[in-house]
Amino acid sequence: MDVPAVSTENLTRRFGQLVAVENVNLRVSAGQFFGFLGPNGAGKSTTIKMLTGLLAPSAGTIEILGVDLLENAVEVKRQIGVVPEGMALFTRLTGWEYLNFVGRMYGLDRATTRSRAEELLDFMQLADQPKKLIADYSHGMQKKLALAAAVIHSPKVLFLDEPFEGVDAIAAGTLKIMLQSMIARGATIFLTSHVLEIVERLCSHVAIIDKGRLVAQGSLEELRAGAGSDGGKMTLEEILLRIVGTTQSVGRELSWLE
Amino acid sequence: MAGMTRERIAAIALLRWHLFANTIRTTRGQLELISRIIVGLLLLAGGVGGAFGFGTAAWYFVSHGNTEWLALLLWPVFAFWQLFPIFSAAFSETADSSTLLRYPLSYSAYFLVRMAYGAFDPTSLMGGLWLMGIGIGTSLAAPHVLPIVALTLLTFALFNLVLSRTIFAWLERWLAQRKTREILGVLFIGAILCIQLVGPLLRHYEHGNRGQMLRLVAEIVPAERVLPPGLAAAAIARSLEGRIRTGFLYFSVLCGYSAAAILLLSVRVRQEYRGENLSEAGPRAETAPAGNLANSWDLPAFSGPAALVMEKELRYLSRSGPMLFTLIVPLFMLLIFRSNGAFPHQKPDLVFPAVAAYTLILLTNLIYNNFGGDGTGIQFYFASPVEFREIVAGKNLAHVLILLFEIVVAWAGVSWIYKPPSADVMAATLAAILFAAPVNLATGNLLSLYFPKRIEASAFGRQRASPTTVLASFGIQVLVMGTAALVLWLSHGPTYWTATVIFLVLAACSLTGYLLGLARVDYIALARRENLMRELMRA
Repeated sequence: MDVPAVSTENLTRRFGQLVAVENVNLRVSAGQFFGFLGPNGAGKSTTIKMLTGLLAPSAGTIEILGVDLLENAVEVKRQIGVVPEGMALFTRLTGWEYLNFVGRMYGLDRATTRSRAEELLDFMQLADQPKKLIADYSHGMQKKLALAAAVIHSPKVLFLDEPFEGVDAIAAGTLKIMLQSMIARGATIFLTSHVLEIVERLCSHVAIIDKGRLVAQGSLEELRAGAGSDGGKMTLEEILLRIVGTTQSVGRELSWLE
Repeated sequence: MAGMTRERIAAIALLRWHLFANTIRTTRGQLELISRIIVGLLLLAGGVGGAFGFGTAAWYFVSHGNTEWLALLLWPVFAFWQLFPIFSAAFSETADSSTLLRYPLSYSAYFLVRMAYGAFDPTSLMGGLWLMGIGIGTSLAAPHVLPIVALTLLTFALFNLVLSRTIFAWLERWLAQRKTREILGVLFIGAILCIQLVGPLLRHYEHGNRGQMLRLVAEIVPAERVLPPGLAAAAIARSLEGRIRTGFLYFSVLCGYSAAAILLLSVRVRQEYRGENLSEAGPRAETAPAGNLANSWDLPAFSGPAALVMEKELRYLSRSGPMLFTLIVPLFMLLIFRSNGAFPHQKPDLVFPAVAAYTLILLTNLIYNNFGGDGTGIQFYFASPVEFREIVAGKNLAHVLILLFEIVVAWAGVSWIYKPPSADVMAATLAAILFAAPVNLATGNLLSLYFPKRIEASAFGRQRASPTTVLASFGIQVLVMGTAALVLWLSHGPTYWTATVIFLVLAACSLTGYLLGLARVDYIALARRENLMRELMRA
């Protein structure tokens, strides 16, 4: 039996009285492009933070490539790449310095780090201003650099929290090409995104979380089949809305807005 | 229009109040508040005590007919108000008012808010209290000039307040970019050379002809009278003599200085208001061949994550104007010691330990808020496959290297200006540093994890650690310096070799404590990671 890339058992996180994530049992097979969806405040970022060691779970277990994250954090972190919500950038370094720093921190030797950093900056179209501080990058450039840093050590599992947020179509295209080539080489990608069209196009499997609970998990076909008799034609957005329900303010107006 | 401005300023005040009220919801916030109150009380004691002293002196001068001597009181207030915030960036803070630009705030309202943010810093409060003391003392001796004294001292206070804001704003502007930073560096070196001449010059007059000395004083006094503290003193003195018109003239020139300071500040604030960006980004560059890019450093004897973090820290520091400025302050202090004869020729050996101790105190700003400049980068440390103690060790290594560099510079400075310290003083000082540095590093590591505070590497007025950290670092310095003083007293003799031995024994203890603390860092960092990230990633 294949070892799952990511698996959790009864993963729970409480903030005081609030249960942000409750008994989540995820299973992501190796090589999957996995989308983790849900409305705002559903628990997506909290879950991805726990999966990458940025947040301690209140209860439950996490295994990455069959290794317990809580017991062997350093070993797991060697195998994974992360683009967290804040992008984890040191903004007073240049892009070149940052990639060199990250590569060496992941244990790559000097020559390998240098050649990969050059290649990544070139691929991400960030090579033309090597002395520019990250603080002076645009948001899209920072996203691209964060992704470059997350893959410099060739991780087996890549976690991305909203990688397409605030990114223009050109930069998004670059990111998509890179992610697809990683999948083609056997990596596993776990991403959260609000851009459902992109998730639908890229991901083979999806999980939906709502109010901290996992409400659906499976391939896109399985989710469509589970959505009802007309599910076969439904878009991911329609599936999501059907599963989590809507409380939209349709038909209501703000009294002062003419 | 005025009503709208008033409402907006009230809204900003309410916003600040809500921010404050929200911070004290947590235990950490409550601790910070307690620390702030304690620090405030200490400052208040200094302010009130100083006010009493200044007031007594003012009363004495005026009641004995030496009204001109009020300048002797106003100059120290002026010097403190302007220099203290620069030499102690750790205690001075300017809030980032540029975030208010998104709101429909008029320029005048923005300027007022910018001024109000700086009006309540410790220096302004202490300076204000001291001026109040001078005002009360003068008025008690000559009650009939109370309105004139009050008006003059209020104007002088306004001038000081605006000038300190102006100096901060312009320094921040100059330190933000490499070219102006270099010019400022050259000016600083020029100032150092000039100050070098002051001491010998004064000694020449002091030991030479007394008549010459008096002539020099006679030449300085009129020059002093055209500068703000002298003008304020002269305005009060003339009024006391009944020469209201002359007094008014001096007062008018003082107002002119205030207006000029406001104008200079306004130039900067207007740029901020227009959305100025002080980044170092230049025009879009041509594609640089990869071969031109510098490798990461290859330092002998240093390898692994700790060395990488150390390199990153040193790069960060080299790009932070305020931090670089902090590092040259000890040298500046050395020159001040020299020019005011704080360490006469009979005791030059005490200069080196004094400057070394001062260097360590200045570095506490870095040491006690290790992660302050990392911002969102803190996430990387937790996501990377590296033990947290290695990261902390890398930071400590960078700080120790800076400390060593500073001590070498201090030694060179002392040797140049005074004479090389004797071998026993050198040994005792280094042994004392070996004891004090691990104590500070160990405490700094803990405080950095428990009370992190985001700092803005490029902003001069946003380098301050949390109030709890400031208070704790003060306590640690009292403890360390007290211990050092006790050791020196106990081992009193013709040389300092006994003290060196005692310091080395203490150093072994403090180093052991540091290593034990470092071993606990992983556990503490993991337990505190959410708090660390929340504080450091705050926008």
